[in-house]
Amino acid sequence: MLKNILKPVSLCLVFSFLLLDLSVQMANAQMVDTNSVIAAQQQTENRERAVAFLGREDVQKVMVQQGIDIAEAQNRVASLSDVELAKMVNTMDQLPAGGDSGVGAVIGAVVFIFVVLLITDLLGLTHVFPFVDSQR
Amino acid sequence: MIAGLLFFALFTFLSGCGLLPIGPLTQAPEVPDTAMVTGVPFFAQDELQCGPAALAMALNWSGVAVQPSDLSPEVYSPDLKGSLQSALIGSARRHGRVAYPITGSEALLAEVAAGHPVIVLVNLSFFWYPKWHYAVVIGFDQPQGEVILHSGLTAREILSTRTFMNIWRRSDYWGLLVLAPDQLPVGSNEMEWLAAIAGLEQTGQWQAASTGYATALKRWKASFTAWMGLGNSRYHLQDLDGSAEAFHQATLLQPENGMAFNNLAHVLSEQGQRAAALIAAQRAVDLGGPLLDTFRQTLEELKRNETPKN
Repeated sequence: MLKNILKPVSLCLVFSFLLLDLSVQMANAQMVDTNSVIAAQQQTENRERAVAFLGREDVQKVMVQQGIDIAEAQNRVASLSDVELAKMVNTMDQLPAGGDSGVGAVIGAVVFIFVVLLITDLLGLTHVFPFVDSQR
Repeated sequence: MIAGLLFFALFTFLSGCGLLPIGPLTQAPEVPDTAMVTGVPFFAQDELQCGPAALAMALNWSGVAVQPSDLSPEVYSPDLKGSLQSALIGSARRHGRVAYPITGSEALLAEVAAGHPVIVLVNLSFFWYPKWHYAVVIGFDQPQGEVILHSGLTAREILSTRTFMNIWRRSDYWGLLVLAPDQLPVGSNEMEWLAAIAGLEQTGQWQAASTGYATALKRWKASFTAWMGLGNSRYHLQDLDGSAEAFHQATLLQPENGMAFNNLAHVLSEQGQRAAALIAAQRAVDLGGPLLDTFRQTLEELKRNETPKN
């Protein structure tokens, strides 16, 4: 049974890997232009802000309520892609500065985005690897 | 059919405007109650030419002598019968001016109070029958509830704050500053200013960009990005010594960042300092990061003893 589906499934997998965006910046001897510098600095800043956000007491409370492991969540920030990170930071920006009305809702929204990212990531891993393992 | 339209109109009124209470413009505490920018010339617009007219007013105020008709080919899209915001931004940059978008009434009042006219995009009609229009805000009077604009055929048109906020809201309160590169906006944020200056690079305005980065460094002395931009713009202006100095400063600020070492290597190599260039390039490769491939390429080309090409 397994043998029968092996070929189509592997082909399918190969094809889906081809769809992955592995585009690497063209290796070319050149100076780094200012726009690239700005983008890189923005990424670093976003990452720092996300880590700081997840370190906040009120945020950790929400995470504990939702059963998220805090240490694991903070490790995850490192593995978020730039786009995912931007999404998270954008939602964080909607937090009212100082005021407390609606803060809980926004924290919930950020944590929710985070959970979604976490889950998609886990699915991507857990579906692929055991299958490969079982073929040995 | 008619009932449907009526319902639609009613719905539009309810959701669009009119019923929502709109107070006075929000104002930061340090901003005065009244202000008027002097020295903004008025150009009456030709038909559909509010974009070129508004930009010409702002450019002339900032010291660039242009007529709306000069700007029309750069800004106006005949197909759209109007001017896109991005076209205004691009055109301001082509004239060596920093285009700095702002949002909201607090920023608007702060800039006008500081003597900076603000181009605003307003919708004179409703969103289902848009009549987009650019005007230049040159003053306000909070106690009287008035905003003063150069708009269309009217110089110093006075609108009630309520009307102004209603028509401005439909563009999500979009405003644009057009500034000389040595003039920071009041509410400027480091990264937004640097992004606006980097826009000048794309139009080849290296001198203006160089001034913009130097201006940033007066305010944000430890800005790695500003030193990088200064190095890049000086390099394009053939000021190799100045460029090397700027990249050197950047390496001091972020010694863990390979980008500054990579660029420094290029400049040193062009200065004929091959040994120092190789050390810098090797450093960039050792530090790695997302641009590692670029750094490697720089090192390889240096080792082949070529002048890296841009």
